[in-house]
Amino acid sequence: MTFALLFVSLIYYASPRDTVVLAEVAVHAAALDRFAAGQTLLTYEKSTLERYAARSLGDLLQETSPIFVRQYGAGMLASPSFRGTSAGHTALFWNGVPINSISLGQADLSILPVQATDRVEVQFGSAGALFGNEAIGGSVHLSTDLQKQEGFGGDFSQTIGSFGQHQTSFAARYGKPTLRLQSKVYNQDQPNTFRYRDISLAGVPWERQEHAAFKQRGILQDLWWQAAPHAQVKASLWWNQAQREIQPLIGSSTQDTQEDESFRAVVDYRYQKKSSVWKLKGAWVADQLQFNAQENQTSQGLLGLDWELPSAGNWALRAGVRGTWMNAKLSTYTATEQRWEAYQSIGWELEEQISFSVNLRQLAYPNELVPFLPGLGLNWRLFESDRTSLHFKTAFGLGLKLPTLNDRYWEPGGNPNLRPEKSQNGEIGFQFKQAGTFSLSQRLTYYRMQVVDWIIWLPKGNFWSPENIREVHNQGLEYQGESSWNTGPWTWQANLAYTYSSTRDLAQEGSQQLPYSPKHQGNAGLQVKRNDLAFNLSSFYVGPRSIASGNSRILEGFAIGNLGLTYSGTKWKSLQLPLRFQILNVFNQSYQVLYLRTMPGRSYQLNLTLTL
Amino acid sequence: MIQFRKSILTFFILPLLFVACNPNSDERPRGVYDSGILIVNEGAFGANDGEVTHLDPSTGTLTSALFEKANGRPFAGLLEDLVLEEDRLYLVANTGKVEVVQPGDFKTAGAVNKDLDQPRSLATARGKLFISDYGPYDASYNTPSSYVAVVQGLDGGVVKKKIPVSSKPEDLFTFGSYVFVASSEGKKVEVLDANAVLLSKTLEMPGKPVQFFELNGDLWVFCYDAQKVYFVSISKSGLSQKEIRTFPIAQATGRMALGDKDAIYVLTSSGYPEYRDGISVVNILSGTLVSDWKKGTGFYGIGYDSDRQQVYLANAKGFQGNGEVLFYQKSGAEVGKLTVGRGPSGFLFR
Repeated sequence: MTFALLFVSLIYYASPRDTVVLAEVAVHAAALDRFAAGQTLLTYEKSTLERYAARSLGDLLQETSPIFVRQYGAGMLASPSFRGTSAGHTALFWNGVPINSISLGQADLSILPVQATDRVEVQFGSAGALFGNEAIGGSVHLSTDLQKQEGFGGDFSQTIGSFGQHQTSFAARYGKPTLRLQSKVYNQDQPNTFRYRDISLAGVPWERQEHAAFKQRGILQDLWWQAAPHAQVKASLWWNQAQREIQPLIGSSTQDTQEDESFRAVVDYRYQKKSSVWKLKGAWVADQLQFNAQENQTSQGLLGLDWELPSAGNWALRAGVRGTWMNAKLSTYTATEQRWEAYQSIGWELEEQISFSVNLRQLAYPNELVPFLPGLGLNWRLFESDRTSLHFKTAFGLGLKLPTLNDRYWEPGGNPNLRPEKSQNGEIGFQFKQAGTFSLSQRLTYYRMQVVDWIIWLPKGNFWSPENIREVHNQGLEYQGESSWNTGPWTWQANLAYTYSSTRDLAQEGSQQLPYSPKHQGNAGLQVKRNDLAFNLSSFYVGPRSIASGNSRILEGFAIGNLGLTYSGTKWKSLQLPLRFQILNVFNQSYQVLYLRTMPGRSYQLNLTLTL
Repeated sequence: MIQFRKSILTFFILPLLFVACNPNSDERPRGVYDSGILIVNEGAFGANDGEVTHLDPSTGTLTSALFEKANGRPFAGLLEDLVLEEDRLYLVANTGKVEVVQPGDFKTAGAVNKDLDQPRSLATARGKLFISDYGPYDASYNTPSSYVAVVQGLDGGVVKKKIPVSSKPEDLFTFGSYVFVASSEGKKVEVLDANAVLLSKTLEMPGKPVQFFELNGDLWVFCYDAQKVYFVSISKSGLSQKEIRTFPIAQATGRMALGDKDAIYVLTSSGYPEYRDGISVVNILSGTLVSDWKKGTGFYGIGYDSDRQQVYLANAKGFQGNGEVLFYQKSGAEVGKLTVGRGPSGFLFR
């Protein structure tokens, strides 16, 4: 069907048009903004990313989005759960390249430092047609954004904090009309010697956390080059290494260590002739994970060709093919695999009043076709006045997750007969916006989702083995509100978000809420700014959640508050020296995101940045 | 191993009965959990949510998470064994600790929190605790440094000494000043001198020894390999092997329960990838064998309630949440089932 539509579209758009010189945009945005009509999207502002610069993507998403991040301790494994789905039900992209581990089928958000990326965008709901494998609960998109710049620039940033934290980063930039370069280097040392209440001991004494040190370093190199009037090249390299002592559960004294090393490279060649754009993408991702003495290596190469008509009257069109070559050498098995996919997206927009998109994708692995994935979305402006507007949004999509290499090949226990996990997601929502001195944006979304053939690893005697057993029905409400206003010299900004999520496992008796799926989650923030001084208060709440099926044990909900103060008035010639002070977990809450995985109490961070 | 330690209970209950008849004794009040059945909830790997559930068989009332309810803090470990000796209940966590509680109310009485690796079981002798421990894993997940840890004092404390034993010690049995150790992977029963705190003697076993029990005054140890199970009787005084009774029960696990007379219920499992589990029943003295008395999947623990003459079968239900206990008459008829906490693995009949 994809190819049929592609063929029709090609005929329709075959008429010659004038050559258009590319605008000077260095970001080749993901298909998020053009073909994701009706979907719930979250794009982070630069100021938020700066506030989280010394922290991980896991912290950012936990504290500021409806995503529940399963954090296994301070700086330990952090895996996302969108709308009650599992960690493997999230697609993660870096500059359009999927970077979930091909053996585990998920990513550890704690070793993705926020400072390594320029943009973070999040999409909610099944969007297999748009983003392919693993986009069941949602997807996260990290990308490089090389801003227009003349000459040299850069910044140096030093953060010191509680429990021995030291973090240093350095970025250098160069730009001219046809070339932009950016280099980043970062180093983070977090001994994590925080104090905690040892609830496993009589008297619940205060203890100092041992064996939880975390070290991370990395290098990034980005390039954007206007190679010819019609051609652009964009390339990025990212090397990241994290060394961790794995924080033991309260009451045990395991001494595990883990080292993760990743090398990622991507090259995009973009050629625009007349109104059509051709994009060639090549990428290489190599991951190495060493757990104690056990070493696992995986790599994947990706090659894709994409053809797009970004703007043809009211229409936009995109079609492409992609091949992925995977190679895994794990402690218990080796495997190779090829995957092929073809996709197509059609967008239509009428004077910003109504827009819809249709997305289609067909995937094949290793030699078999998996179910065809369609996706539909609609934005409809119901009402508009000078300052206010009301939009209706709706989207429907299918999602799919191929069994991971571990699921199929792990020895012992791997199950080669697993079926892909499949999902369908539908959502409707309204967005109200008001501009002016008191601006307001509110969005309310209702979603329903069904995931079948959900894979669970079950203990079988001495081994664990995966099976397609769960059938999960999710539904929920997501509310997101933002507002800003001025009082005299003060600028105020407030935000509030709340999520209700019901996730039922129909395969279980009584179909109770899934483990580690809080029904209630929320976050709120307030920023006040006057001249060069800015103050922010943010908080997040995670509701009660069971640690196992059948609600056999419930972990209490927790609310955490963070405070921040930034002064950006210190300048010397063209040098700016913003100073930032933050108090995390300001009320010193003792809490666990996951059972017996202790999290730090109140901590302080001081950051000084020199920007040229 | 988790088991109905009939012998130990006899040792323990008889003096209690005697004391109960003495009007001048300072007998402590009988606690809520001094009767009924304690169900071991091992908990799930990685969650360390082991606990104990109490069942009142007369009313069918279940009380879960006894440790946390009594002490206001989680057990925080994988509960490997529950041992009642010397008027104390020892909760052995294979995640590296032993909690000591009062048997009647589960109030904490002490602990061994340090210097243990993977403790499996415990015995008391001569005022000391003897704790079998796999020791740490090496790079190949073998356990070449297994030991029995010795703690001076019955209410826990620090580990004074580690006596090296063969790989993967499981159950322990005390007779006088001797502590018998079933070193499963090493296929040996090692005898420790509780006074000198030394290894005194080693007995070779035909299979993996995992559990001691007493029958007609004799000490027996249950051993198994891939094809057969072996019941080896040991002279307690001579510290020597007396006889071996062999039965062709293939794919036995290390779990068994002593039923009426000489009946033994043995859990079996075909293992990976099909996991067909079963229960075989042998009468070790008369030599009868009933293979596949029960068949199913998820079997994780077994016990025998001699008061009600019922077999209790624990099903871990994949450790995804609550497990289940099924009750059978000796005839094999199912007489009920109950949903219990996570990973039910054994029973202690009070």
